[in-house]
Amino acid sequence: CIMCIYITLNYLFLTVCLCVHVFFFFSVPTVPQQVSLSPNLETQQLTLSWLGGESTTFDIMILRTELNETVFYETVSVTADKISGQHQWNWTSVEPLECTSLSVQIRSRDGQTTSDWSDTHILPGMDLPSNKDSQMFPQDRVVSVGTNTTFCCIVEEGLGFGSIRYRDLVMNVTRLSRRSYAMTQINQGPSGVTGTNVFCSSDEKTLLNGAVVFVGYPPLPSDLVCETHDLVSAVCQWNRGRDTHLYGKKRKTYYTLNGRYFTHTHTHTFMNQKWSACSLAQWDGNFTLVARNLLGQYSLTDSSELSLRVRPVAPANLTSVVRAWNATLLWQWKHRGYDSLALICQVELTSHWHTTTRTFSGVGLRSVIVLDLRPDEDYSIKVRCGVQQNFWNWGDWSGPLAFRTSIDIPDAPDVWMWIERDNTGRLMWKPLTHRESHGQITGYEVTLWSPDENIQHTETLPQSICTVPINLTHISTTGSSSNKVIATVIAKNAAGVSPPASIVMPLRWTDPPAVSRTAYMDGGFPLSWQSDANASCGYVVEWHDASCQQDCAVEWIKVAAENTNISAQSENFQPGVRYTLSLYSCSSEVPQLLQRWEGYMEELVPSSSVPHLSSNQQDSNIKLSWGEIPLVSRRGFLLGYHIYLNNGSQLMLLANVSDPTSRSYTVKGLPVGSYKFTVKAYTSAGEDTGATVSISLESYNNILFSIVARVKKAFYPDIPEPKLAGDWSRTQGPLDVKPSPHSMVHIVEEPEWDSSKEALVVIPEEDEDEDETGDEPVDTDEPTSLRYYNQVIDDRPIRPRFPDSSASSASSLDSARTDVTYTGIQTSGNSLGYRPQMQPGSLSQDMASFGGYQPQCSWHLDSPVEAEESGGLAPSLGSPTSVASTQFLLPDSGSKEQPEGKGQGSSSATTWFHNLLSSAKP
Amino acid sequence: MPNVNLSNHLIQTHLLISSWSYNRKKESLSPDLTVADGRLVTVPPPSSQLDTRDKLWRLHSALLQCRSLLERAITKEEEELGGAEKGDYQSQRKTVRDRLSLLLANTGELLKATDGTAVLTPSLEGLEIDGPTILFEVKLWIYRIFKELDYWTKTAITTLQGLPSVTAKERGRTTAVRRRRSTRR
Repeated sequence: CIMCIYITLNYLFLTVCLCVHVFFFFSVPTVPQQVSLSPNLETQQLTLSWLGGESTTFDIMILRTELNETVFYETVSVTADKISGQHQWNWTSVEPLECTSLSVQIRSRDGQTTSDWSDTHILPGMDLPSNKDSQMFPQDRVVSVGTNTTFCCIVEEGLGFGSIRYRDLVMNVTRLSRRSYAMTQINQGPSGVTGTNVFCSSDEKTLLNGAVVFVGYPPLPSDLVCETHDLVSAVCQWNRGRDTHLYGKKRKTYYTLNGRYFTHTHTHTFMNQKWSACSLAQWDGNFTLVARNLLGQYSLTDSSELSLRVRPVAPANLTSVVRAWNATLLWQWKHRGYDSLALICQVELTSHWHTTTRTFSGVGLRSVIVLDLRPDEDYSIKVRCGVQQNFWNWGDWSGPLAFRTSIDIPDAPDVWMWIERDNTGRLMWKPLTHRESHGQITGYEVTLWSPDENIQHTETLPQSICTVPINLTHISTTGSSSNKVIATVIAKNAAGVSPPASIVMPLRWTDPPAVSRTAYMDGGFPLSWQSDANASCGYVVEWHDASCQQDCAVEWIKVAAENTNISAQSENFQPGVRYTLSLYSCSSEVPQLLQRWEGYMEELVPSSSVPHLSSNQQDSNIKLSWGEIPLVSRRGFLLGYHIYLNNGSQLMLLANVSDPTSRSYTVKGLPVGSYKFTVKAYTSAGEDTGATVSISLESYNNILFSIVARVKKAFYPDIPEPKLAGDWSRTQGPLDVKPSPHSMVHIVEEPEWDSSKEALVVIPEEDEDEDETGDEPVDTDEPTSLRYYNQVIDDRPIRPRFPDSSASSASSLDSARTDVTYTGIQTSGNSLGYRPQMQPGSLSQDMASFGGYQPQCSWHLDSPVEAEESGGLAPSLGSPTSVASTQFLLPDSGSKEQPEGKGQGSSSATTWFHNLLSSAKP
Repeated sequence: MPNVNLSNHLIQTHLLISSWSYNRKKESLSPDLTVADGRLVTVPPPSSQLDTRDKLWRLHSALLQCRSLLERAITKEEEELGGAEKGDYQSQRKTVRDRLSLLLANTGELLKATDGTAVLTPSLEGLEIDGPTILFEVKLWIYRIFKELDYWTKTAITTLQGLPSVTAKERGRTTAVRRRRSTRR
């Protein structure tokens, strides 16, 4: 400039040119003047203002004063305010402005040319030494979910910094100054009710200070709907929407409706949503709701005519006038405007947890008659209404009103009859249910009337009785020429007597028709029949337990005349029980038994095995015989019997006797030896556990031979006693022999006869198992040991082997009483499985224990009772008749498997022989 | 006869103690952080020279301050931090307040029993009853109130247990009354 002035003075023309030229090449931007800092602590915004001449570009540098760290250094474009000439620029700090002091400098920039920096201006932080206390910033900040917030902790003068925790999470920190530390929590989640705490602690883990931040959402209500209850005012409600997570009077959401501010709104929860409601005194037609909190606001609108939004209030003061079969329900309206309002109302009726709804309508409706109620029944009733025209919504339900209907006369009882074979009978009726009683039943009245004789007998019974025995024989012999009697039952309660229920009872038992079978399915026995022309009043289907003998529980159902099939259903049906179902026609005469069925709800395996299972040798065959399983034990329709050969560990099926009426089976072709047979009855559900019998199949020649020997022994007992050969003095005791598990049949070879007094005797299984009583031995899968006793045989000349008196023996004895009658057939005394073979020359002792087969003694069978009653001491025989080798022999069924003879004490050969004969009684 | 049931007080104490620990847990204040004590209740210092009545008066005064602080704390907490549904904390806080009132009534009755005169209401002057405004400090203040409650209910037990003569005297009086009643029968 100095140069410019100089040139101007000497060379006027050039002066101008040079001066301009110098100005353009050498002018410097103005240094910003009057810099001022204006902080907004809440927004963490720092407003910088300065005078900067013509410049529009400035370099701004912000440093943390204490540590001289650059926080911000950028070139910004700022135009001057046209009036004041001031430049103004805002900077938002990541950290709260209180955290530490900030130094600000500005310089003007013109392209690459800059002015000098302005003087440093400092925004003092709260960490100045003069503020000795610990502090934390920001405090009580409210921010949106997902945002980041930076907190700083200024440590108390003289203490060491420890950590900053967001909730209980220790955060990474940045040191801002000597005493100030900062951390940033990013993407913050919503707070709890009392906000999220940030804790600052010292290096000694002492809490220095802290802050609470509230992280939430702006309000987002929905579903604003306004309606009227009183036809004048408006009630508006809205869904509050998501939880803002902002609570407390400063942070909660405030609502205005049409500009009216509501401090309190009625709030309720519906379908897991929170709803608010408030009222306006007049219906405006247009409604605007504004929801506000510290994070934002949201508006909703609704508009409608009043007539389209009428939702009646709940009916008030419900009362009722109650009768037996209906009730009048009355209520009141709070608002007069309802008098002319066409209403539609729902009446909800609840009885025994069953609810029905009836609908009524009318102008100003305030009473209805509720029909089809039941007498003596508790009801709960409530009402709600809507408008008939422009129906908007149902109003609220009234409070419930409870009442009990009046009582009425009972229904007629359901009557049936039962005739026994001995012409006694029972009159039965089903106890009236609560629904049929119409009030507490006080009793029944039964009248028997013989139409021909016109004799009537009436009896009053208490309400607990629902069956009475009737002696039809007595009635029929008291001069009545009729073959029927009319029985009438009426039920009584406090309201009166029921209509009479009558049935015509026959005076005599009639034989039932043929029985067919019915299979239970879909919860009942399906029954169908041909229509019967005489069934003027339909049919009765009756059923009972087929095995029941007396006072049977009978159930029945009455079927309309047009029906010819039903499914007989009862909750009393049990699996494994045979039911007899009978169809009767109903008319003015005696019910006629038309058809009969039998069936099982579910067939089971028989609960007991065949009784009286016995085995007899016939020539070289074995005949197995058994009794009939009682009906109650069958538990299904018997389909047949499985015959097994039982080797103790395994059962081998020999035959399937598919005729359930069969009572015997002959096993043929077995070699000589000991056998066990198991017989199992089966139904569609499977087999029973089985009954087992043992037998020793003898050689046919041996039998003949032994018979001769026995006769000889019986009449010539003084045969010299054989001597022991070898040492047989071992202690008596069992010799356990395990049968080979591979052999299906364990055949014990007959050893050579030894003249020793000791003999091997098979112990039948029944003897070993004391628990196994009765005639149904249980099969086991375990291989059974055959147990032999080297016992010393009684050395008395003759020792018949009869069953002893033990329980198992008794059952064996019982099983011996088979219903097989063979006249002139000899039975064996004992069918023990095995005994040592006798030498031909010394039969005497073994005769006593064997006794398997005897000559036929047909003459003595005429007096079996006498023989039995004598207990084995039968009268002496006369001269023996011929003993022919062709004699037909049978094993003694009475001994079964028992090794010991019943008449063991007898020493008389004659008696023994006689007993053998008498055991073959028919 | 004041209904001084020590076992009942023990239960109360337990409740009060659990209140501040519950409060601490609720506010996720880590257990390893120590919160410096800040006494809010102002009473004369304890001394072995104090007689029974003075001890009781000191206790009663402290409990009275506790109740005032608690009432204020509840109000402030509701205003600043409440608004949501009432939960376990709120119901426990109410129980604490009720039990504290019962304890106050008992100590008041005892005070009356010691000299037969009406209990003078201790002055609450100087008590920082308004509390802070910054919410973290409000929380800390409430926490300290619960700590004070804990301290003074424990002190109440110690003090009441140290008054055998009073209770014995009262017991004797009760026995005498019973005797008189049975004589009348």
